[in-house]
Amino acid sequence: MVKRTKTILAAAVTAAAAGCIAMPVSAEQAKVDIFQNKSEFAEQLQAAAELYMESHPDVTINVESVQGGDYSTSLNAKLLQEDGPEIFGAELTDMAGSFKDLLEDLSDQPWVDAMSDEIKSNCSVDGKVLAIPVSVEGYGLVYNKEIFEAAGIDASTLTSYDAIDEAFASLQEKIDNGELADQFPVLEAVEEYAAKETWLPGYHTVNVALQAELGDAPTALVTPEIELTYADGLKDLFDLLTKYTAYRDNLSMINAVDYATQIGGGLAIERVAVVQQGNWIAPEMQNIAPDVAEKLDILPIPLKGTTEDSIAVGVSVTWGVNANSSDVDKAAAKDFLNWLFQSDEGKQIVVNEMGCIPAFNNYDGIEITEPLSAAVKRYMDEGKTMGWTMSGWPSGFEPVSAAEFQAYLGGDMTWDECVEAVKNDWASLR
Amino acid sequence: MKKPKWGFWAFTGPALFAFLIVQVIPTLMGIYYSFTDWSGVGANKNFVGLKNYITVFTNDPKFFHAFWFTFAFAICAVIGINVVGFALALLVTQKFRGANLMRGIFFMPNLIGGILLGFTWQFIFVQVFSALGKTFGIPALMGWLSNMQTGFAGLLIVQIWQLSGYMMIIYIAQLQSIPDSVLEAASLDGAVGFARLRTIVMPLMMPAFTIGLFLSISNTFKLFDQNVALTNGGPANSTQMIALNIYNTAFAENSFGLAQSKAVIFMIVVAVISLIQLNVTKSKEVEM
Amino acid sequence: MKTKKFSIGKLLLLLIGIIAALLYLSPVLILVNSSFKTLKEIYLNILALPETLSFANYSAAFAALDFGQTFLNSVVITVTSTILILLVSSMAAWALARYKTKTSKVLFMIFASAQLIPFQCVMLPLVDFMDKLHLMNRPGLIFMYVGFGCSMSIVLFHGFISNVPKELEEAATIDGCNLFQTFFKIVLPLLKTILVTVAILEVMWIWNDFLLPQLVINKTGWQTLPLKTYLFFGQFTKKWDLATAGLVLCMLPIVIFYLLCQKHIVKGVTEGAVK
Repeated sequence: MVKRTKTILAAAVTAAAAGCIAMPVSAEQAKVDIFQNKSEFAEQLQAAAELYMESHPDVTINVESVQGGDYSTSLNAKLLQEDGPEIFGAELTDMAGSFKDLLEDLSDQPWVDAMSDEIKSNCSVDGKVLAIPVSVEGYGLVYNKEIFEAAGIDASTLTSYDAIDEAFASLQEKIDNGELADQFPVLEAVEEYAAKETWLPGYHTVNVALQAELGDAPTALVTPEIELTYADGLKDLFDLLTKYTAYRDNLSMINAVDYATQIGGGLAIERVAVVQQGNWIAPEMQNIAPDVAEKLDILPIPLKGTTEDSIAVGVSVTWGVNANSSDVDKAAAKDFLNWLFQSDEGKQIVVNEMGCIPAFNNYDGIEITEPLSAAVKRYMDEGKTMGWTMSGWPSGFEPVSAAEFQAYLGGDMTWDECVEAVKNDWASLR
Repeated sequence: MKKPKWGFWAFTGPALFAFLIVQVIPTLMGIYYSFTDWSGVGANKNFVGLKNYITVFTNDPKFFHAFWFTFAFAICAVIGINVVGFALALLVTQKFRGANLMRGIFFMPNLIGGILLGFTWQFIFVQVFSALGKTFGIPALMGWLSNMQTGFAGLLIVQIWQLSGYMMIIYIAQLQSIPDSVLEAASLDGAVGFARLRTIVMPLMMPAFTIGLFLSISNTFKLFDQNVALTNGGPANSTQMIALNIYNTAFAENSFGLAQSKAVIFMIVVAVISLIQLNVTKSKEVEM
Repeated sequence: MKTKKFSIGKLLLLLIGIIAALLYLSPVLILVNSSFKTLKEIYLNILALPETLSFANYSAAFAALDFGQTFLNSVVITVTSTILILLVSSMAAWALARYKTKTSKVLFMIFASAQLIPFQCVMLPLVDFMDKLHLMNRPGLIFMYVGFGCSMSIVLFHGFISNVPKELEEAATIDGCNLFQTFFKIVLPLLKTILVTVAILEVMWIWNDFLLPQLVINKTGWQTLPLKTYLFFGQFTKKWDLATAGLVLCMLPIVIFYLLCQKHIVKGVTEGAVK
């Protein structure tokens, strides 16, 4: 109480001293707790919050970042409490499902008009905007330009499945012959694929086939059963992603490869030249090997016979505002979000500090310098993108479908069995 | 000698109070949730009777796989942990230079958890093992953690590595309570020593064995962190244990009610096993 | 080395001990070795020794953890919780062991079987209930540690109280000691070995615990070492260099604590009784 009075007093004194017209000093202190799962930009977000608090002394913002499985667990626990977080991460599935009554309607916010219809549909349920899109992400086949150049491969021609396949084959041959050994002593295979991480096979890879079938997340959300129409293309994609790895002769071993092995122990030390990943690996690459991080670009992730020249792009991070918070806190939360994503100061922070690809169309003049994000933007500008349906999948589909693909890669299931199992998983989780 | 009745409640009261609020009441709430369709978020809870239990028994092969996997794992792990833990305790209570340092070393694995544990062991199993396999031509060392068998073995090694030091601490405490004269007589020099160990030391160790077995059974059945860190249940859910299965049901699939019903079934089974064990080993204890 | 002269058996034991210690230590050594390397060095060859002996990771981890404050937070929570657990559990275990009534037996079984509940299952109801009691704060966390820790400690104390001769207690009662005097003056000193053992086990658990403090006190200024260490791991970025240095910083106090405690474990009950 004493502290609050002091703050108000200080604010009043400052205002008076500055000779302003008496500033409307709100008697009530607002609290905004942000609970989110991108530890990558936790510090930058906190710094942005402190900047905001300098000009808004009546608002206190706390950023709390927890990653992975612990995030959803803790979020559930926090939402049970009377004094839950004001801003938290919410996917479309959650918006339509268990979080429905917990999310504030944001349709009247100024940033709503700065969203494309597609992005808007990823943040809305029943025509109401329930979340703000924080970042767009894209993934394809991330590759090391220098290795490709050294092997004499012109990456700009790799816009079809067969072209990519041939290029990888010739690169593998050159590696096996030792032709690149002088320049890249550790290089042993074209690719690495982290099949152990459920979000690789069960999320990003399978989406390539599901987006062709379903289109977008809102459609996915209302689809009771999937056909896996593009199962053949998906099989070819798995084939392409694994047959130029170091385990091509004993594929079951690929199930032990994790993210650290794929990026740190693979791409970053130039043991491999290609990984299926997205622009989110940039901070990790810069931590480990800043020089290699500058050599990266993205190749298409081809669905054979359907879309062979595109990468998958979508809104990956969306935040909602807690409808159960007090009006003062809610107003402060909305104002902070609007400042962060729409003020000139905020836009710079979002793009250059937090490393996000903006989800709004009024970010003109803010240049993206990080190579992978720039590559994603390039594909977006060229219109060579495929959909991002994950946020409309049934909860729990990722680990379950990943398990089926792991069984296929490990040789415990035929492809047909795998396809059937994945279809059943969808239907039973919906 | 009769003690006053108030004494019992005065002495158990504080522990009972904390225990009741922190463990008993939430557990009872959890049991109630097992009869509802609660998703884990929000206030919507509808009473659905035995529906969740019926689902578990009729339509959840993964849960039963997790059950058998955990069961088989527990048998191997409990034996391994206690045999190794007791052996370590015997070893470091011998009088030789460096015994104290060794205690410290055997105890250290307990202090490494979560992500770092997964990081180190992933490296050891996947890279060190396959390098050894290549060098010495042992195919069994290749491809660890990429199938159920090696996942099982990997989990077992990590579990014994971690918990044997824990049990060692408990066994040391009991060994120290055996009078020196008895231990001297049962010194480990030669075959006579081993026979004495079996006939003199082991019976006196029974109270500690009761506790050691009980704790290792419950810890092994509840195994969660190591499961996540090492295999995360994969590949293809083949190494998923019960705690992880329940956790995924609750937090990945947002079916908290269903997860609670699995937890209740699980608790009953483990309680039966542990109570049998407690009764069997308690009956073998001798008073000093 | 006063007991025995040199023998083959001893040598063999020593040899086995050294091999076992090396096996146990090797994963720890990998982590310690990594704590002196750059991220790229770790990924290039995790077993290679660091190119230069640099404490850069340690100073970076020290700063990122805000070590002084965080360490203090961890110490306060661990020490307070452990002392309370030791106190309430030893009292309860003694009563449960000495009163041979039906209630006593049933209560002990309930305490013991609580060991079997996976934490993930009580987590949400617990948070819900604690929030209603306004205990989602540091005193609340300590209270929860007492509630969770007492069940295992009671099982441990209960098992070891059978080593304590009843005659001493009875003599004390005849001398006019009331129950509390008997317990604190006679029984507790006799339990020294197991008290220290339980203290080690509880300290180890609370010091390293992540999930409970993450749920209850993950607020700026309140964080414990595991909570802060966790910030080295992002969704897609893992700072193994800082994390391994952080691990060593977190481990050292506990290893030192354990080595100090050992002195009190080596002496048997007979000596405690003299005190």
